Amino acid sequence: MPGNQISKLEKFLLDVQKPSRYTGGEVGEIIKDKSRIDVRFAFCFPDIYDVGMSHLGMKILYALTNQRENYWCERVFAPWTDMEEIMRREHILLYALESGDPVKDFDFVGFTLQYEMSYTNILNMLDLADIPIRQKDRGEQLAPLVIAGGPCACNPEPLADFFDLFILGEGEEVNLELMDLYKTMKDAGATRSEFLRQASQIEGIYVPSLYEVSYHVDGTVKEIRVLGNAPATVQKRVIQDLDTCYYPDQIVIPFLEPIHDRISVEVLRGCIRGCRFCQAGFLYRPFREKSAETICQQGMALCENTGYDELSLSSLSTSDHSQIEQILDQLLNYTEESHVNLSLPSLRIDNFSESVLEKITRVRKSGLTFAPEAGTQRLRDVINKNVTEEEVLRTCQIAFNGGYTTVKLYFMMGLPTETDEDIIGIAELAQKIVNLFYDMPDRARGKLQVSISTATFVPKPFTPFEFEPQASKEEILRKQKILKKAIQSKKIKPSLHVSDVSQMEAVLARGDRRICNVLYDAWKSGCRMDSWEEFFNASRWYAAFEKNHLRPEFYANRTRNYDEVMPWSHLDYLISRKFLICENQKAHQGIATPPCREKCSGCGANSCLGRACF
Amino acid sequence: MSDLKNYRILFEKKQNMKYISHLDLNRCMTRCIRRSGLPAWYTEGFHPHLYLMFPLALSLGVESICEIMDFRLTEEIPASEILEKLNAVFPDGLLALWVGSPIHQAQEITHAEYLLYLTAPEIPDLFACWEAFLLQPEILIQKRTKKGFREMDLKPFLDVREAKISSDSQILSLAIRLPAGTEQNLNINLIPESFQNYAGKPIFTRYACRTKIFCENFQEFF
Repeated sequence: MPGNQISKLEKFLLDVQKPSRYTGGEVGEIIKDKSRIDVRFAFCFPDIYDVGMSHLGMKILYALTNQRENYWCERVFAPWTDMEEIMRREHILLYALESGDPVKDFDFVGFTLQYEMSYTNILNMLDLADIPIRQKDRGEQLAPLVIAGGPCACNPEPLADFFDLFILGEGEEVNLELMDLYKTMKDAGATRSEFLRQASQIEGIYVPSLYEVSYHVDGTVKEIRVLGNAPATVQKRVIQDLDTCYYPDQIVIPFLEPIHDRISVEVLRGCIRGCRFCQAGFLYRPFREKSAETICQQGMALCENTGYDELSLSSLSTSDHSQIEQILDQLLNYTEESHVNLSLPSLRIDNFSESVLEKITRVRKSGLTFAPEAGTQRLRDVINKNVTEEEVLRTCQIAFNGGYTTVKLYFMMGLPTETDEDIIGIAELAQKIVNLFYDMPDRARGKLQVSISTATFVPKPFTPFEFEPQASKEEILRKQKILKKAIQSKKIKPSLHVSDVSQMEAVLARGDRRICNVLYDAWKSGCRMDSWEEFFNASRWYAAFEKNHLRPEFYANRTRNYDEVMPWSHLDYLISRKFLICENQKAHQGIATPPCREKCSGCGANSCLGRACF
Repeated sequence: MSDLKNYRILFEKKQNMKYISHLDLNRCMTRCIRRSGLPAWYTEGFHPHLYLMFPLALSLGVESICEIMDFRLTEEIPASEILEKLNAVFPDGLLALWVGSPIHQAQEITHAEYLLYLTAPEIPDLFACWEAFLLQPEILIQKRTKKGFREMDLKPFLDVREAKISSDSQILSLAIRLPAGTEQNLNINLIPESFQNYAGKPIFTRYACRTKIFCENFQEFF
């Protein structure tokens, strides 16, 4: 059996950037005696250490699994290209940081699917681990089981050929249920297919090999047929009560500086807003809050145990917590005394009250970031971003009064029904913010800067826009030119760039099983680290499509009928198709839907709670 | 301010900690002190931060048994208690050896001594090769400066205290003093680099460790 891979690597560590990505040994790392472990889980993040170590979900599931004495969860990241080269040259296998043991010797190899453009890294990591890339080539031996979860598991079809199973929804309970079943069946000497059939009976477990997909001549899905006694639809898992749900009080503290170098307390799950483009807003429903008391207690415990001096309250929309002021009051008393910065990454414009702002500025003054997403009220109604121009300006006014001088605005381009007027509206909104600043008699000293960043809209499954076509690259380029022309002030800094990445993202987001071969061929031809601008290679992707007689436009730029069978139609994320169609129709009529707290719009997510959300 | 107490610790940085850069060590130490519960002093001003000072940075890949860090506490704490509290929260590879009041100032540092183990499987007589390397009239190296690379002669600064070859003739162990500090600072990795250039064969650093930091007249820095 191949031994510790880190010791083989040692003599090359000074030849690579940031060697501490590869050594482990961080404070908070969990080491166990493997002779006393029943199930070993390699938690794989398909990107480099610096990115993966910022990911909250991994921290939660790592600590949760390791709570169980006889289970050991370890961390695995994609090596950066300099290290990959050395690993391939020196025949060093992909290993887990805690033990240094090869990933192929684990019981579970679990990937988290956070963004589509990490998919080629998954294939690359399996290859580096010397694990057969396609599920069908893994034989009947039980281990290693290659599994995945995370938001992109809501349409795992482009990855169906590579995984033994997918976990839908929240992992805190189902991960352990799966490992328990594994332990029992391993002791009983079960085969891989026996285990998979049994696992498919657990709620939230989707075994793609137990479903068969057929297609119409036009390329759309005809039927998804169930084999054996697997469930016809697989429903995602939902945690009922965040207060009693496990949350770590210690995390692994990286030596190098990860993308987000802070500790986080998750304050709520779900979102009451229903922005029609936002997949997370629907995937994480129903809306559930953690109590103020639990949040404060967890935040303080994490600060004490890690020594971190930055604490973030994380969620899709932290200011929607019904007790936000109370939380801030309590936490700020603690954080100020103990020299901790409190950061609130997801605040919304409309309820950004003066007192909340005052509380934040007590801690740290950095730039303000808003995401109006669209330039005109008409288009904001279409996408259901319930933010008015008055609210944007009012908030900027408060912020300018508080001494802020930089404002960042995020917009999307290529939204459904978007016209050139909507694009010009982006420049006009930015101009009004500039005017507002200079009209203030007692404005702050310092240079005003309003930066505008635009991203290409990518339609995603389980959103009201899952039926919509993505705008072509040419169309986006044309609109960017219009925007550039419409910007008058030097205080407005647009950051516009376009790439083919968004189209590939759109393909992978709504792709079917035929995309598996495209993905495989793209990887084979050298694609990896696709989310890194310097590595994304569009022509390799296009060649892979051609080789498989498929067209990216079919997946990215095509309108779906309301009655089309989607590749993910057999997966149930509790959001009803009827609701999505109704929301899509309202979008085209420019009618907004109020937030859940004001009025329930009947998406269906509350069915798992057995009560109304509010 | 009058209650502030300056402390200096002497610590080891070994094993995997040698891969931790100077900047990362600073963040790591900040968290260690915060976790230790010691009453650390924070700078005043716009962005208060925990005050830490490292008089002499250490190159990536080099271990050390004599690293120095200064910090301040808002009250006096017995040295033994500080040692105990820090070592309880340090990651593997860091070990506090001594705590006391600073005697010398960072600017007084002039030299540092290193222990180097070199191997070169392709060189038949490594020791002879090393001696010949030293006998050159000058040892030119490319020193990285803010404005790119600058050629300089290493020879006048290279103070070899000891050179030994292992009984199997495989490992050349060297004790070397080099200028260190604000005036002139030479990276120990320059030695194997220039030796390799001279020998024309690969030289591997098996181990590099800083063993002493000196002030004027080779008085140990404390």
